Amino acid sequence: MGKTLAFHSYKGGTGKTSLVVNLGAIYAKQGLNVCMLDFDFRAPSLNVLFKGRPEFWLNDYLEDKCSVIDTLVDQSDRFKLPGKLWVGFANPSLEALKDIMSKDRKWEVKALTKTLAGKKEILQEKQIDYLIYDTSPGAQYSSINALAGADLVSLVMKADEFDLEGTKELAKGVYEALGRKSGIVLNKIPLEQVAAAGGKEKFGRQIEEEVGLPLVGMIPCMCELMAFGGKSIYTIDKPDHTFSRSVGEIAETLKKM
Amino acid sequence: MLPTEPSMRGLPVSSKGTDTILVDLLRKMNRNMELISRKLDRLIEIQRFPGGQMLRPGVSLPEDMPLDVTTLLSLPDHLRKSALALATLREATATDLSKETGRVRAVESDYLNQLVSMGLVKKKRKGRDVYFYVET
Repeated sequence: MGKTLAFHSYKGGTGKTSLVVNLGAIYAKQGLNVCMLDFDFRAPSLNVLFKGRPEFWLNDYLEDKCSVIDTLVDQSDRFKLPGKLWVGFANPSLEALKDIMSKDRKWEVKALTKTLAGKKEILQEKQIDYLIYDTSPGAQYSSINALAGADLVSLVMKADEFDLEGTKELAKGVYEALGRKSGIVLNKIPLEQVAAAGGKEKFGRQIEEEVGLPLVGMIPCMCELMAFGGKSIYTIDKPDHTFSRSVGEIAETLKKM
Repeated sequence: MLPTEPSMRGLPVSSKGTDTILVDLLRKMNRNMELISRKLDRLIEIQRFPGGQMLRPGVSLPEDMPLDVTTLLSLPDHLRKSALALATLREATATDLSKETGRVRAVESDYLNQLVSMGLVKKKRKGRDVYFYVET
């Protein structure tokens, strides 16, 4: 049985989607079978990068309109990857966004059971090695449903005070309560901040102590990434770039966790 | 003044003074019982509507309390594991669930019945087997 990873954050804009896409591409480049699911139903983004217009959205699966397998689109040939790269998209239409916001708790129970059952079906049917959830920031129902089904939760955060305080709350109130193995990915870290803390290791240890979770990896802040966000998969197009190498290190750490 | 030794043993009591003492004592006991009863009702009321507090087994929730993630997060660890496993299987016997959680069947059966009594999980009989399920 494959491993299920979820990427979550307290605030938006921490780089979860970029990380999910680039991490998935690394595993597929290694010949592993990967499936990415866009569980950010309030602000779907995987459809932008993959230009996905599937026959069925993940929303349709949660509404009993199709099976979870029907929602998956194979992207491995497009990127000439040795492993399979399946993607499940969330519906980005305004109508779908409004619809997801109007759901009651009863519907969320069904969404939870369908999320858990869907995960199992994908892992078995598609022989997936890594199933990766991209989630909405904060304590959204769909995100916590995905976290409940994950083997490993990676909390993506910038190292500012806003992120730090909220992340501590999430670690204590959600991850610990769900009993999921969790770790921190520090993203968009200015080099000056690392230098001021006395180096990468010291800085990492400081954050680990503060949040109370182990560090999975650290990605420096790079302005050029902003320009290519949603247009390019760095780990495929620029495998030697610092960002790609940092994601590569995270991929290896996650394998061992 | 306390009742005399014979009256404490339940022997016939004839003296009027002793009767009065007994009645007073019974009234006092009644008042204390009412006080305890009111306090218990209050405790049940607090646990019925968690508001961030831990739910306790054996305490019924309002009938429409769904087993969603917010409820899951307020459950104690041992019950959350069973509830999450059942949410994955949707419908299962205690034996099925014990295979999923790696705990023994008797323990799983106990936890599932606690979830039933809390109103979070339902159960039904199919032949000789009892199936637990999450109502969606």
